[in-house]
Amino acid sequence: MDSIFVLEQLLNGLGYGLMLFLLAAGLSLVFGIMDTMNLAHGSLYMAGAYLAAQAHAAGAGFATAVLAAVAVTVAIAFLLELAIVRRLYARDHLAQVIATFGIILIADDVVKAIWGPSPVMAAMPAALAGPVQLLPELPYPAYRLLLIGVGLVVALGLYLLVSHTRIGMLVRAGASNRGMAELMGVRVGRVFSFVFVLGAALAALAGALMGPISAVQIGMGEAILIPALVVIVIGGIGSVRGAFVAALLVGLVDTAGRAFLPPALRAVLPPALAAELGAALAGIAMYVLMAAVLILKPAGLFPARG
Amino acid sequence: MSASLFRAEGLVKRFGGLLATDRVELTVEAGEIHALIGPNGAGKSTLVNLISGLLTPDAGRIVLDGRDLTALPAHRRVACGLSRCFQVTSVFGANTVFDNLLLAVQAHAGSSFRCFGRRSAETRLHERALALAHALGLAEVLHRVAAALPHGMQRRLDVALALAAEPRLLLLDEPMAGMGPEDSAQMVALIRGLRARCAILLIEHDMDAVFQLADRITVLASGRVLATGAVGYIRAHPEVQAVYLGSEAPA
Amino acid sequence: MSRFDAAPSAVPAADLAPLAARLLPWVLLGLLAAFPLLAPVFGLEYWLGFVRRLLIVMIAAASLNFLLGYGGMAALGHAGVIGVGAYTVVALVDAGVGSAWLAWGAALAVSALAAAAIGALSLRTRGVYFLMITLAFAQMLYYLAVSLSTYGGDDGYGLYTPLALGAGVDTGDEAVFFWVVLAIAAAVFALFSRVAASRFGHALMGIRDNETRMSALGYPVFRLKLAAFAGAGALAGLAGALLASHNAFVSPSLMHWTESATLLVMVVLGGLGRRWGAPLGVAVWLVLAELLKLHTEYWHGPLGLLLIAVVFLAPRGLAGLLARRRRTA
Repeated sequence: MDSIFVLEQLLNGLGYGLMLFLLAAGLSLVFGIMDTMNLAHGSLYMAGAYLAAQAHAAGAGFATAVLAAVAVTVAIAFLLELAIVRRLYARDHLAQVIATFGIILIADDVVKAIWGPSPVMAAMPAALAGPVQLLPELPYPAYRLLLIGVGLVVALGLYLLVSHTRIGMLVRAGASNRGMAELMGVRVGRVFSFVFVLGAALAALAGALMGPISAVQIGMGEAILIPALVVIVIGGIGSVRGAFVAALLVGLVDTAGRAFLPPALRAVLPPALAAELGAALAGIAMYVLMAAVLILKPAGLFPARG
Repeated sequence: MSASLFRAEGLVKRFGGLLATDRVELTVEAGEIHALIGPNGAGKSTLVNLISGLLTPDAGRIVLDGRDLTALPAHRRVACGLSRCFQVTSVFGANTVFDNLLLAVQAHAGSSFRCFGRRSAETRLHERALALAHALGLAEVLHRVAAALPHGMQRRLDVALALAAEPRLLLLDEPMAGMGPEDSAQMVALIRGLRARCAILLIEHDMDAVFQLADRITVLASGRVLATGAVGYIRAHPEVQAVYLGSEAPA
Repeated sequence: MSRFDAAPSAVPAADLAPLAARLLPWVLLGLLAAFPLLAPVFGLEYWLGFVRRLLIVMIAAASLNFLLGYGGMAALGHAGVIGVGAYTVVALVDAGVGSAWLAWGAALAVSALAAAAIGALSLRTRGVYFLMITLAFAQMLYYLAVSLSTYGGDDGYGLYTPLALGAGVDTGDEAVFFWVVLAIAAAVFALFSRVAASRFGHALMGIRDNETRMSALGYPVFRLKLAAFAGAGALAGLAGALLASHNAFVSPSLMHWTESATLLVMVVLGGLGRRWGAPLGVAVWLVLAELLKLHTEYWHGPLGLLLIAVVFLAPRGLAGLLARRRRTA
């Protein structure tokens, strides 16, 4: 296991982590500010992936396809919030879980009806299909570098939005103490809609970008939901900063676990056992991380609520 | 060796940099109503939580009836004779008054791990719940849902639930909170009537009630005991007047 | 106070009209008992296996309803414990055991222990943290099952010989095994009804409604929750063991978190904390899914609409809806 391999895996982990951040940031804000568990967040991610793949395949340039996918998903999210999610803010978490689970089921069927049950190929933009020579011995896929780049830019943008704009201040106030924010005259309804739609945009962006390097299929939303939930629990509910740190941690731990554990175990254990144990441990690595964090800091790394 | 029913010795509690409870000493005698007063932020709630077991002290001891309770978790202290009410009324709102009382009584009459016998057939439990209802004037409303009761009656149910444990010491955390004059008068009469059953540690802001009920008063300020003594002594105490009675009008 | 605690129902067992309510369970039981005899007459043999699976899932759902509806513990790891029961049977069969009593009994015991261990570590947390920690444990069990190549790993394990109950009872016979499952399901249902009316049941409901006050009243809250957790786990494991025999096959997919979510959905659909919640929810969900699948490949959507409708129109579930109708009729 050489250092080039390690570096490559770390970069992969970084990219995956940043995409997780895009997804988790919206989920964390919605949970932190509206106290609403929105499982359909994963479906918005899926929508972004399918729409971008479709647009790109129909001839649009890659960047255009991504932006179009985000725009359409944002519109869908706006309608979703208006019709259903808005009525869930006052309900208990279980009702929210059931209702948004229902949305997931409907979304899965809509996708199946439009694109069929088989996975869809999301083509990688030709210009980025090749490797970039980062170091003399490290060729790294250009597309993955794009993910890292976009992820960092969006993270910066989100940070600036939340800490340096008025709407960001309102969002933070709502996250730390909604009741007080309401009493102080914040137009809570508008802030809620904004947060929901912003989260949807980020999720769609993540989906659109992940499309070419992962499987665009029904159920991809549910699959990424669990890592996203792990991220927001580790990071602290309602905290964008927490989501960022936690997403990077989860991304790195997950990728590193899958890459480094099997070979490491093979060095000390008989091959059959190493293979079994390696697969099992790699899968649970992020849960062990979550448990460890919660033992030390029961409310996550950066809890937004006082 | 003091013969006090209850002793809190050298209790200390820190929250980060804040010293919420600073070497507090407190005693309660059998049959006594002991009031705990102090301005907001004095640490009264923290002290009550330390005594009832919701918080663990950084230092100090809690002794009831000669028994050291400091290491016991909250629910075990109840079995030793310490019972409490909370500042905000805490009953089982969706259940009837009778079911509320049954639940409270059940905790002290045998194991709650029994999973086969129908509780509706346990007449002894029913009798004890009824007795409690009669003692606290709740017999008329036995089959009403607790959340539908007027505030004063809910408070009374609250106290009844705490009494199910037949405590030696009852902690009442601002029982008059949110009550109008009529309800307050009834609550004062109720508390006075409890004197025969158990000693009472009473946290209150309502000074009228405090002066009517208390045998002794302890004044807390900034986590420390400012003064302890009989009502007259406290009323005349210059520091107490300056810190507390002077700056707050009687409720 | 965590908002993940389910909306309580203080209404006790008999929420339907008196006589009809008393007779209905027995009528249903009779119909179900007669079903294996009636099925061949009407050409419904396929449905025999279907109803049997329904009954097994009802056992799992009842234990979840007990945990969440009566105890207020929202755990997302039920499928994991079901898997423990199933794989205990696999392990014993692999080691040469052929007795159903031993295999199913062991499944009960091992699942109870597993649930107790998970509970001991998780029950100090609340709300979404409790949910995520129980999910984490279930996922760990899932990955463990996937990686155990001795028991088939991802491909699963086939149980080729039906387990023996002795006394000439052949669990390989479709009808006989149906009756065995029916007997167990009925017993489990009766058990839960009894427990709900017992001291333990009332204490659990008290913990669900106001945990702090219960502790202040002197109840050993942690131990009570742990006991409920272990008990519910034992029955979930039993359901897993029965499922193993029913399918004659066990694979890690039955432990996937979406199975836990579906179980949760069924229980809430039926009515959380209500006596008939689990049977009703399971029956409606699985029968509807089966009927939809016969007519269209887009059967997820209608079920999704049903869930949204229930959340807004029947917040106390279908059992709650029926109870309300009866009371206003």
